[in-house]
Amino acid sequence: MLIVDQAGRIILVNSQTEALFGYARQELIGQTVELLVPERFRPQHPQHRHSYFAEPRVRPMGAGLDLYGRRQDGQEFPVEISLSPLETEAGLLIISSIRDVTERRRFQQALQEKNEELGRAIRAKDHFLAAMSHELRTPLNAVIGFTGTLLLKLPGPLTAAQEHQLRTIQSNARHLLSLINDLLDLAKIESGRVELYPESLVCQAVLEEVAAALRPLAEAKGLRFEVTAPAEPLRLQADRRALSQILINLINNAIKFTEQGAVRLRAARHQTAGQWRIELSVSDTGPGVAPEDHARLFQAFTQLAAEPSRRQEGTGLGLHLSQRLAALMGAQIRLESEPGRGSTFTLIIPEG
Amino acid sequence: MARILVIEDNADSLELAAYLLQAAGHRADGASAGEAALAAARQDPPDLILCDLQLPGMDGFAVLRGLRQEPRLCAIPVVAVTAYAMVGDHERVLAAGFNGYLSKPIDPEQFTSQVEAFLPRRS
Repeated sequence: MLIVDQAGRIILVNSQTEALFGYARQELIGQTVELLVPERFRPQHPQHRHSYFAEPRVRPMGAGLDLYGRRQDGQEFPVEISLSPLETEAGLLIISSIRDVTERRRFQQALQEKNEELGRAIRAKDHFLAAMSHELRTPLNAVIGFTGTLLLKLPGPLTAAQEHQLRTIQSNARHLLSLINDLLDLAKIESGRVELYPESLVCQAVLEEVAAALRPLAEAKGLRFEVTAPAEPLRLQADRRALSQILINLINNAIKFTEQGAVRLRAARHQTAGQWRIELSVSDTGPGVAPEDHARLFQAFTQLAAEPSRRQEGTGLGLHLSQRLAALMGAQIRLESEPGRGSTFTLIIPEG
Repeated sequence: MARILVIEDNADSLELAAYLLQAAGHRADGASAGEAALAAARQDPPDLILCDLQLPGMDGFAVLRGLRQEPRLCAIPVVAVTAYAMVGDHERVLAAGFNGYLSKPIDPEQFTSQVEAFLPRRS
């Protein structure tokens, strides 16, 4: 801290100022304050002083600028200065509080470097994921494509055995593609690179869209497919793609694990502890899940079905991915199920 | 019958697309690099162009810009057929000015009708 008069002369310094600038008190008293300013800023400094005296009020000096002090040995160091006017019998003086911010500046710089490094690592990872996605899809294009041309019998007729074996190739290739898609989605979530774009949605519209896509799959298996929603539109703020993806995963699972009966999709609005929530549930009449297995079900690559044929059908990532997406949306997935009584997965989305 | 130029550097993918289009009664010509594709299009302007994005030399975006600069070629619909199928790729492709986007692996049962939807209406 030091005090300066209208002519810019130092009239009082404390011992911190002495230590900070490397001068003894008697070397400072009576000198103009420019002594403590680096040479390159000295010519403009008296002008700044005059304008401060013209409009004296408590304020930081040189807001937004990097300020420097000059030590006796000529070394510069970054400072932060706050100025306050002091009315005295001798006239208006200025109190100048000077803080050495070398450490803080160094810390900020280190932080910035770390951030840049992190940014580069994230970009490298994104680039890697995009390249991996591209490289994995390219050979699958030929595998899925030519299996398709053969099954379409474009080159000529097939024997029953050829057709059967080609269908096996086709379903495995599609399975591999789902795995790649799910793994890439998961990798993007893991690296915090999934951006959600919440928009104003009407639940019924999303449900209808998803139901239209999956109803044929259920009906092909001989399952009833029912959608129940209130007559009045249920509105919510959510990312359409994430919401659809979760519902598609849940409904796909329900269809996959149900051999007879129905898959039911239900939308409702409930109030719990003063908080309105939208609940979208997918129920099936499948084998159900024992309570002790509920938590494990949401882990990656966990499938409970013992039948080997079933293990083929899913990637083992669907529920895990859905739960991660739900968490990003601020929602959660609740499971109610018992062996032999079917399962109900409910996506619970808080309103507002 | 439409004339379709397929720009694709992967020989298997090119063979697949051409095979499916020919089976549906179209004429499919192939080009495995951007420069060659532009030359082929100038020689004999096709009704529709399918274009991979990752190509040696000129990429698909550069091919599209090249086509759009030429008065005789600028109105030809160009559909990106690409293995870039991450979130945001579809939007990026349409924003660049492609008329459509199909991701790889293509669906062999749907491919021809998906492509035909981009053919200009015959008057």
